[in-house]
Amino acid sequence: MVYKALGQQKKDNWLRLLRSGDHGAFARFIDKYKETVFLCCRRLGLREDETEDVASETFMAAYKGLQRYRGQAELSTWLWSIAYRQAVSYLRKNRKQLQLEAEPDEFRQAGSGEEQGPAAAIQGEETEKIVWQAVERLPRLWAMAVILYYREEKGIIEIAKIMQTKENTIKTYLFRARRKLKKALAPAFGEDVDVGG
Amino acid sequence: MLGRTLRSSSQAVPADFTQRMLRQIKQAEEQKILARVVLQERLALAGCFVIGAAAIIVMAAFPDTITAVFNSIVGSFTERGGALVSRIPQSIETIRDQWQLYTVFAAMAGFAVYSLVDLLAGGRLKTA
Repeated sequence: MVYKALGQQKKDNWLRLLRSGDHGAFARFIDKYKETVFLCCRRLGLREDETEDVASETFMAAYKGLQRYRGQAELSTWLWSIAYRQAVSYLRKNRKQLQLEAEPDEFRQAGSGEEQGPAAAIQGEETEKIVWQAVERLPRLWAMAVILYYREEKGIIEIAKIMQTKENTIKTYLFRARRKLKKALAPAFGEDVDVGG
Repeated sequence: MLGRTLRSSSQAVPADFTQRMLRQIKQAEEQKILARVVLQERLALAGCFVIGAAAIIVMAAFPDTITAVFNSIVGSFTERGGALVSRIPQSIETIRDQWQLYTVFAAMAGFAVYSLVDLLAGGRLKTA
């Protein structure tokens, strides 16, 4: 109880410093969330140089917008929504065709090309690599929904707010993504691979 | 398994990204202050032009009215000033004799002090 109150007080102080434009507090904010922002940009299909530009724009927008942030959403959710908007807006401006919802031409199965049966002992980095490859092959919006749900542990309502769409659309993205992932991961992890539910 | 694996991974971020972001923010803040100062200067200049032009137009259009107004102001000023100065002790005879001149000097000195303070600490006071 006391620890929770102290933690909340510390968080409030940090937020107050952030809103006042304190550079030290904002440096901690960048350090805490930079991976998240880079992940968002990369998963939406931006190249490395573009990712860095959009990440910079995202943090600049966050710096300017922090004075208006009233804590109505979690700070990470608020930043995710800025990053998402910046990345989609960049894609709309700079790409002739925006294929965020397009199905991949061919859904290759992760782990194919190697002889890996269900019983293969795949652990650690190898597992991570295979799972990420499978996520990367999903349509970008599905992948985004999967990352927000499973990695960032956001709820459907929060994801819908971040991606500026309906909750049912997010549920559909997640349902389809799970089905695709299960199919893609089956050769490496077996037919009964657990992709959540 | 999916959640655990995705959470355990990390994203590669350029090592100096935070420092570069802070530099960008400082530059943006400096530009914002500069833009505000430039805007203030432009507004002041525009104000000088507009007020000057308006004064010339009014004087050209209504010369008699303007002369009457100025005579009235000067008359009132001299009358009130004289009444004020009559209260000053006789020892400050010089000021009593040339009070109009000293009033102008005082106004100039006040403006000089204001300009000096603005020059030395104006930026800090505006951004504080």
